[in-house]
Amino acid sequence: MTLPAATPTPPTSADRALLGFANSAELAARDLYAVAAGLPAFGADEKTMLVGFHDHHLAASQAIAGLIGKDAVNVREDAVYNAFRGKVMGSDKSAIFDALRELENTLVSTHVSLVGTLEGTEGSALVASILTIQARHAAALALLGGRALADALSNTAAPLAPGASS
Amino acid sequence: MNRYSRRQLLRIGGVGATGLVLAACGKQAGVEESKNITAVGVVPDAEGLPNAEVNDIVLLRTAASLEYNAIDTYEAALGLGVFTGAFAAANDIAVRLRDDHRGHADAINGLVTKLGGTPFTCGNPRLTEVYISPALALITDEANENPALDVVVLAHALENLAAQTYQTVVTMLSDKALRQAAMTIGQEEARHAAVLAQALNPGLAGVLPSIDEATGKPKVAAVPGAFGPLTPIPVTLGAKNPDGSRTSLNLETPSLNSLAYEYITCA
Repeated sequence: MTLPAATPTPPTSADRALLGFANSAELAARDLYAVAAGLPAFGADEKTMLVGFHDHHLAASQAIAGLIGKDAVNVREDAVYNAFRGKVMGSDKSAIFDALRELENTLVSTHVSLVGTLEGTEGSALVASILTIQARHAAALALLGGRALADALSNTAAPLAPGASS
Repeated sequence: MNRYSRRQLLRIGGVGATGLVLAACGKQAGVEESKNITAVGVVPDAEGLPNAEVNDIVLLRTAASLEYNAIDTYEAALGLGVFTGAFAAANDIAVRLRDDHRGHADAINGLVTKLGGTPFTCGNPRLTEVYISPALALITDEANENPALDVVVLAHALENLAAQTYQTVVTMLSDKALRQAAMTIGQEEARHAAVLAQALNPGLAGVLPSIDEATGKPKVAAVPGAFGPLTPIPVTLGAKNPDGSRTSLNLETPSLNSLAYEYITCA
């Protein structure tokens, strides 16, 4: 008796295109956190957290790039970046946390959808490990933004689709 | 001319001697075996475990069993009546998370039924035996000075275990739709863990990993790293032992000895 799928399967060519999109969406999130961390509204501790989340998105994009090699886009997805850029500004910290939470929830929904599409288990395992952290990001941002418990636990964001502007 | 070398003769001799010894130990044709004399080394026939297949149904039943472990633990925690004073807010959190786990269990068992399996509607027997029951015994020990805190610590560990389990089965489930269903729930378990981490170590300081300068040990973090970990989850509970230490348990995701195989039923 053994556990199934002891040997992970590599991404197919279709998987690689989808993972390339995920790679660029993660870089958009990285850049949005860089913008947020540079805002004067935030103190040192808040900036530490924002830079930490920035680094997580960078690590996610790099891990995906490592899996798909030359198929990695390695350029941010402008549609994602532009959709959120206007919300990550000003001095209303709760509003900025809300925008970043919406970004995280959107990425979580996108990655969950991706797990249901990818054929190779190497890709789905990596994406699964990324999305659980982004769900934690979203929950933390809700609590730190003073939102209700239900806001930390629920996700109603629609997934992104490759090639479609959000 | 001698056709055999010294080495070959020794080898042939060894095989022959071994054969004689084995023949002496075995049953002899025509000789009735005595039932009055117990031979050394004779044991009853072993009854092996049923030869169960680890398939999608088993993996989903195992996930459902963990949901029931969580439900039972929150029920036990709420029944203790320890969420008072500084832990009053934990009562509402426990109710919400218990209800979420009920929803998860129903969703997972719905998939089990759809696949033709039998829903699993109780806690994982093995995990209950090795983790939950010992942990609750430590928490409810009369000498324990802070059962409310320990309940939250245990719940946090169980939520991490659930999140890790869903993450783990992604590579094992054969059906992509089931992988997606697993992670739909898995990301909710991760949120549960983050919320409880904030209850244990609140505010900005409790979001990213940090070290307790007094003990040198890592503090609880809502976001433990860039990727979902799949490592054993240490949990320290209960009253102090005579040497000043407290008991630690290491929770690990279910494996071959703790899966909810189709031949396992809830008592």
